[in-house]
Amino acid sequence: MFAYLFQATTIPTLEQVVRFTQARHHVLAGNLANIDTPGYQVRDLPVEEFRNYLREFIARRQSGLPPAGSEVLSPGDLAYLQHAGGAFLPGTKRLEHFLRAQTVEPSPTVLFHDWTNCSLEHQVTEMVKNHLLHNTAMAIMASQFRQLQTAIAEHL
Amino acid sequence: MFAALDISASALVAQRLRLTTISGNLANMMTTRNELGEPEPYQPRFVVFQVDPSVGAFGASGVRVAGIERDPVEPIYKYEPNHPDAIKTGPYAGFVAYPNINMMTEFTDALLAARAYEANLGAVEITKDMTQQTLRILA
Repeated sequence: MFAYLFQATTIPTLEQVVRFTQARHHVLAGNLANIDTPGYQVRDLPVEEFRNYLREFIARRQSGLPPAGSEVLSPGDLAYLQHAGGAFLPGTKRLEHFLRAQTVEPSPTVLFHDWTNCSLEHQVTEMVKNHLLHNTAMAIMASQFRQLQTAIAEHL
Repeated sequence: MFAALDISASALVAQRLRLTTISGNLANMMTTRNELGEPEPYQPRFVVFQVDPSVGAFGASGVRVAGIERDPVEPIYKYEPNHPDAIKTGPYAGFVAYPNINMMTEFTDALLAARAYEANLGAVEITKDMTQQTLRILA
């Protein structure tokens, strides 16, 4: 039932953003850790692909289509949805598809004598951007949980 | 989120070891004898970093020190015939072999190690904040 309770909020969308930013934080931390490793090639998650996925995800939710597998919040909800007539799309790409780091094509402008292409400034800025996105999603999510709580408690 | 801390910690360890190696090189700038007290100039050491896939998640990897190697650089010869470690025979008779350590290189390297350490410390702070924000949902 919680799957339907949360359908009215943006919590499932925010959950996708949070999971992606947390995974990307790992990858960026790995890049920073290897800043002095000879021959290390920068890794990243496919941010642009994730954005497209999120766009589709939001469009699907707004048009009232049944949720894809990754939108289901818990195994219990998944069982419930399947019980209710298999109401989720099996063919759509899942979030897990984007949570795998790939090496970034070496940039012709940033290449150091030890054959790395890891620019400290770039990595730190990306990390800060990722951090802010995560915290924004988290703040909105927390406020929506508070709203739900208010609705459940029936008093302000 | 804890894997991110492990990744950053692996880099902190590696950079600190690099700084320790540099300190060792600077401390032994004038060392003309080895551990056994035999006349042998100190060879500068350097660390070798390697990607460590055993630390990490989501395809990200940590770093580890693969080894500390000796730089097989030629020593610097100074003419000091009365030095107890002066070479007795051969073309370098009367010369003392001193370690060939470039202070400029060592200091630059130390600065780089300190900056890399700082960057990873920043990553740790961000990880901590992200975890704290996640926990705020509960409270």
